[in-house]
Amino acid sequence: MYFEIDPKIGEDKGLSLLREETHRFAEEVIRPAARELDRMSDPEQVIAKDSPYWDVLKQMKKLGYHRIFIDQDYGGLGVNATEAHIILEELGWGSVGLTTAIGVDQIAPAVASLFAMGDVIENLVKPWVEDTEAKYHGCWGVTEPDCGSDYIMACEESFLPHVKELHPGEVRADKDGDGWVINGPKSSWISSAPTATHVGLHVTLPPHDSLANGAFCIVPLEQEGVAKGKPVDKLGLRDDPQGDISFDNVHIPDDYMLIRPPFYELRIGQIICVTSCFMGTIFTGLARAAFEEALEYSKNRVQGGKPLCEHQLVKQKLYKMFEKVESSRYYTRKIMEHVWERIYTERTFDASSRHALSAQIYGKRSAFEVAYEALQIFGGYGLTKDFLIEKLFRDARAGLIEDGTTEVLGLAAAYNIVQEC
Amino acid sequence: MAIFPSREWVEAVLQAAEKSEKYKEAAKDWEGDFLSIIEGDEEFVRDLSRREGMEGFISFLDMMPLEARKKYSGTPMGDVFEKKLGVPLDSPADKFSIDEMLSMVSKLSAEDLKGACTYFWSDFWHGSVRAMKPVAPGEHEDATFKLSGKYSAWKLMVSGKQDTIRLVMSNKLKLEGDMSYVMKHMKAVVALTKEVFAGVPID
Repeated sequence: MYFEIDPKIGEDKGLSLLREETHRFAEEVIRPAARELDRMSDPEQVIAKDSPYWDVLKQMKKLGYHRIFIDQDYGGLGVNATEAHIILEELGWGSVGLTTAIGVDQIAPAVASLFAMGDVIENLVKPWVEDTEAKYHGCWGVTEPDCGSDYIMACEESFLPHVKELHPGEVRADKDGDGWVINGPKSSWISSAPTATHVGLHVTLPPHDSLANGAFCIVPLEQEGVAKGKPVDKLGLRDDPQGDISFDNVHIPDDYMLIRPPFYELRIGQIICVTSCFMGTIFTGLARAAFEEALEYSKNRVQGGKPLCEHQLVKQKLYKMFEKVESSRYYTRKIMEHVWERIYTERTFDASSRHALSAQIYGKRSAFEVAYEALQIFGGYGLTKDFLIEKLFRDARAGLIEDGTTEVLGLAAAYNIVQEC
Repeated sequence: MAIFPSREWVEAVLQAAEKSEKYKEAAKDWEGDFLSIIEGDEEFVRDLSRREGMEGFISFLDMMPLEARKKYSGTPMGDVFEKKLGVPLDSPADKFSIDEMLSMVSKLSAEDLKGACTYFWSDFWHGSVRAMKPVAPGEHEDATFKLSGKYSAWKLMVSGKQDTIRLVMSNKLKLEGDMSYVMKHMKAVVALTKEVFAGVPID
């Protein structure tokens, strides 16, 4: 089904093998576990000790997928942008939910690997990258009850003149001796919060008057003062347990405060560039999965005297889905290459946020549009839990909101377009 | 290999910048001078304890006119040389007895070096390094940017072992000035370390 039109990639035996191996893992390990987790009626079962969630997480770590975005000099997987894209599309094909777990896992150590020195590298990043038993599991704490997707917008440098129109943020860090003390609640939408040992956390700093006057830190979660809510029972991405985290006088050492002013307001958007590429790519995988399901079904299901794929209206739908999957792949891959070059290769940290955000939006929106049409092709059967497309559709719908709604992300990109173009 | 900082190092850096087309291209839009402040620490004491280190540092100071070096008097670095090493910093070069100073350096502690700073000024302009020289305390205070930190952090940067942004973000070096400008011109900052400094191996 997959046909690589870029000859530099298609004819590269190493890349072909990488794709095949990752696809096999996605097909044999991720997808069956994801379906089982998706069917669990109680989200607590997803995170239970005997849940397949843990086995998949450990296997992904054994394969090094938790090191894709770690600086190569500090234990990164050593892949380039193309390889990262290939891996993530296949993992997303398996399931976006479980792939999100390995993605958010590495945000905090990745930031540390790019900017920290000394003890943070030796005592946190190194053991994290070497861990294959999920002793370390990260999550990303951004949104709050009063700041949802707009927290992401506050990370866009061109939006800074308007940032005081937003709520000033509730999770606050204040200096406490040699370290910091953190207070406040993050929302229920933190992927992997119920299972995480650490969080990469966005906080505001004194005088706590603006989201832009903020910082990014790592907070170990197994300490006094941290409270986690129950995992959320939700529409889609049910194999990605989400929940809230609250902080009540939680302490961290000074060197865990990784990005501070003025770099936070000027460059935190670069982290969003990386996560945006990640999201756009894994949802490309979902789009391809939905298209493949629909194409296969349409060839076998006979209605009106012939296979569905022989009907013109179905052919039209199949074409539109094909176009979206292919364009999503090549667009998100190109943007991944650009972001990778600026952040990991050249270290100029000046990747284009409008392009990265658009890669996320395009990937997620394409996934939903493809899953929508694919479900329509399945007809009534597509509404039943017997068919994968039912899960893919719900996952794609959730994607339009996760990590920032497509509307707000588009608005953030528009501020950048108006300023830079 | 050059000693940092030394006359040899400054001359090598200026040459490397002049030869590097990659640096010139990356920094073609850069406008802004730097006042660099190097604070002594244990590694500085260790390097000063070696003949090459002491000679290198004296050669660096000797690039400054005697009149300018008088301004070190009463400063922590001035006190280190005058009171601990026995030679005021504004002495002519032939008054620095390297052997005697080496015998006294071993008695220096990190506490003696607290606040003891050396200063140098660099003028970066549209891909050229128009000047790089040691300066006296109080000179070029109006520089566009100030970069300060411990000697060991400076060595990591000028040796190319660590990039500037990591050193600044982990608070090993402090950068003052228009951060937005620096972020917009990161290519120039990266190229200075990667293409110029790293091309001048230091001991």
